[in-house]
Amino acid sequence: MAVAAKKKNLRKDTVNEIIRAEDNWEPVGHTPMPEIPDLRNWDMRLMKTYKPFYAPMCDLCCFCTYGKCDLTGDKRGACGIDISTQQARVVLLACCMGMSAHGGHARHVLHYLIEKHGRDYKINLGDQIFVEAPHIRTVLGLKPETLGDLEKAMDYVESQLIHAISSLHTGQEGSALDYESKALHISMLDHVAMEVGDIAQIVGFGYPTSVADTPLVDMGWGSIDKTKPTILLVGHNPVTAVPIVDYINEHGLQDKVEVGGICCTALEVTRYTDRAKIVGPLSRQLYFIRTGFADVIVTDEQCIRTDIAIEAAKVGTALIATTDKACYGLEDYSKRETDEIVKDMLDGKQTLIFDPDKAAEAAVRVALELAPKRKKELVTPEQVPDLAKDHRLCNMCSQVCPNLLPVGDAIEAAKNGNLQPLTEVFNKCIGCGKCEQECPRHVPIFKMMQAVAGSETWKVRAGRGPIMDVEIRKVGAPIVLGTIPGIIAIVGCSNFPEEISEVADIAEEFAKRKYIVVLTGCSAMAAGMKKDKEGKTIYEKYPPNFDAGGVLNIGSCVANSHITGAAMKVANIFATLPLRGNYEVIADYILNRVGACGLAWGAYSQKAASIATGCNRLGIPVVLGPHSAKYRRLYMSRKEEDDWTVMDGREKKLVDTQEPSPEHLITVVESKERAMVTMAKLCIRKNDTAQGRQIKLTHYIGLHKQHLGTLPDDLHLYVRKASDIPIFFKKEVMAYLEKVGWKEKPVLTLPTLIGTYPSEVPIESVVH
Amino acid sequence: MTMTLPYHRVNVLTGTKAARIIEDASEYAHLVKRAQRPLLVLGSWSLTTTLGGKLLIEYGVEIAKTLDIPICATAHTKKKLLELGVEPASSYDIIEILNHLKDPAWKGVKKEGNHDLVMFLGFRTDLGEQGLSTLKHYAPHLKTMTLCKFYYPHASYSLSNFRKDEQWKEFLDNLITNLKSKEA
Repeated sequence: MAVAAKKKNLRKDTVNEIIRAEDNWEPVGHTPMPEIPDLRNWDMRLMKTYKPFYAPMCDLCCFCTYGKCDLTGDKRGACGIDISTQQARVVLLACCMGMSAHGGHARHVLHYLIEKHGRDYKINLGDQIFVEAPHIRTVLGLKPETLGDLEKAMDYVESQLIHAISSLHTGQEGSALDYESKALHISMLDHVAMEVGDIAQIVGFGYPTSVADTPLVDMGWGSIDKTKPTILLVGHNPVTAVPIVDYINEHGLQDKVEVGGICCTALEVTRYTDRAKIVGPLSRQLYFIRTGFADVIVTDEQCIRTDIAIEAAKVGTALIATTDKACYGLEDYSKRETDEIVKDMLDGKQTLIFDPDKAAEAAVRVALELAPKRKKELVTPEQVPDLAKDHRLCNMCSQVCPNLLPVGDAIEAAKNGNLQPLTEVFNKCIGCGKCEQECPRHVPIFKMMQAVAGSETWKVRAGRGPIMDVEIRKVGAPIVLGTIPGIIAIVGCSNFPEEISEVADIAEEFAKRKYIVVLTGCSAMAAGMKKDKEGKTIYEKYPPNFDAGGVLNIGSCVANSHITGAAMKVANIFATLPLRGNYEVIADYILNRVGACGLAWGAYSQKAASIATGCNRLGIPVVLGPHSAKYRRLYMSRKEEDDWTVMDGREKKLVDTQEPSPEHLITVVESKERAMVTMAKLCIRKNDTAQGRQIKLTHYIGLHKQHLGTLPDDLHLYVRKASDIPIFFKKEVMAYLEKVGWKEKPVLTLPTLIGTYPSEVPIESVVH
Repeated sequence: MTMTLPYHRVNVLTGTKAARIIEDASEYAHLVKRAQRPLLVLGSWSLTTTLGGKLLIEYGVEIAKTLDIPICATAHTKKKLLELGVEPASSYDIIEILNHLKDPAWKGVKKEGNHDLVMFLGFRTDLGEQGLSTLKHYAPHLKTMTLCKFYYPHASYSLSNFRKDEQWKEFLDNLITNLKSKEA
């Protein structure tokens, strides 16, 4: 036997052992535990239609000692790289960072829980979730039963990461498309890592599962009782947050100590206890730290200000760092006695404590002792003009604002007693603090914002985790047929281009139109930061079920895996397609039949890049806001020019559908209005029935007319037969179609890309 | 030589190839008149920015009318254009029009061939920076021109940073006057 064949067989044996191939819950598909080349043809097929679109962030490559190399025009770097390949390399780097962040989180949680419960600890997601891990099932081919099985998934993910990162080295990959394929691979694995992390948390910490109606929890800094000792959790990883809550409960301190969180740890801790508070999204981190309301800050990982130790010290807040990802140069107190830690912290020492139980006890005890000694006063409106007295309208603050806000003008108005412009700036502020840092006269801009920030509180539903199988059974058919017009996933960070309330507006628009609206992370918080006339947030107004018109907080960043997992479950539970090692078939199904669309309206992090790219490989399009596009690669078609031929799976013949659905895999839009129109369009799928298409077009046309004033000028591309035309707009649409010379298009019973590119997957695999 | 910094620091050039700054409206007008197939792309800030009591989009309409320049209405600007009695030639969103523009074989919004000069008015500077970078690198067949009051280093031709809106208004008024003029 040839060496290559032997190697292949050896790997197959190893894979079979890891995934327990002999277990016959489903046949093993064509790509269990795929390596970088295994799904490359799928990627290339996607990118044939959805070509990478680059907006290079730099004319130069500065990665190695050859450079800097100018890559403008037709120039190549000293190593031979061109501008597209270099930009794709940057994208892969971002995706590797994003996936590593989730993977590092998952690995840490898993390690902690295995130490606590053992490798054989069973995965049980309640009596309504049997397809417990659609990503692990689909990508690895493993049906995880224990925490030890989750560890196998992480081992695999990590092994792939090393190959991807190695390709970033100088003198490796020379093709932009191949870098993209690697980015798609790594981002697919990001969803595996996120799934590992969240399943481990749910089973290990006992989060709610198999339930939709999770508690409504308090949000907003106004919900923090500043008269009580207050612990602020910042980051994403609940490994220390949970013992803090346990310590408080065990010592009967529930009414004496406040626990609040910023960013995803807030979502995690409120899944563990509804007594905890969500202070707010990422964009409010610096603002809240500078109020000094927190007596102790406990950091874990990701999206924490890297100057948090400095900021905490400025306001006299104690600080404990708890993970190896973010140590801030602090002294390691992990092996010290708790009494000594508390004493040193009360003397002003900031600490690094890797032992979660010790960190928890120290945090609570320090908060209890420190709080009575501290003053927590906010700036009043009357104090603002005096604070602004040195302001000279040089506008340096406005020039450095990443959200392009007229900060200088607002300070000028505030100096003269008019706080309205500053209020407007605060509502759009993404919280970086660069304005204040840049001010040559040291005007305390962030402090002044305390006078306009208000202390309003809101209700947000606690994160619920995976979608239940019974819910998928109910909505699978309407989603695939199109009568539920789509799943709208609003995810990511809070660097929104305009008012923070825009996310609530978008979510509500689609909920009213009976889409299923799912949210995660800081977007899930932001969506709750708007009340109607009766004082209700969308979480109080709309049902929490995965059904038409539902508004669901799925959870933190890692819970994004449950959104993509829900799409996979539709293929599995409704369409009975096997998941096991069957990625191409499942992704193809979702691309052609599951009308889902993501929105990352304010994403900033590399994690957002990998989450979105992972959605794209799975066939889910994503719309980005202006900030979110700064990783500078989109996947876009050109609807009029591109080839929209697919295979009819039942007839086994190629059909030119002439229908650009979905039109793009990832695109950016400039305004909220355009975002809604684009998202409605991106939920259209070739598989829609006439009734489903009518419903989807009703929303596309309705939103387009509302915000752009006319019928869509590409409407003719989405009307296959006269029966697709929405009754409400029939006369108008018929007149338009006649004007543009519309002709009927073929309708497929089983649209698929399988069979249109080289793949080991037979066309029969898509027929269910 | 002192490097010109864009007003918004998110728009700072990290590279080697920067825009030519032009402050003379007649020179801008000359470049526009010389173009065979110019295009004006309007962004969402044209709906929220006022200048001399008028919306920025109204300046865009006046500029377009001088030489019958086709308009691409991005974001949700189409609705306002229709209210102003103007039918835009296309309503691609910003990234979609850029995606077409970078193809030299594209037929343009009027199906007469790709555009050789693309003017931009009313965009967020961060999106403008990204989009102009795309065209700088991938569309050597066309020139880009910005009409906003900020310096855009990725453009082919850009205004400088106008400290006062009056300067910007004066420039746009002069540009319109020059475009209307029969002199080449």
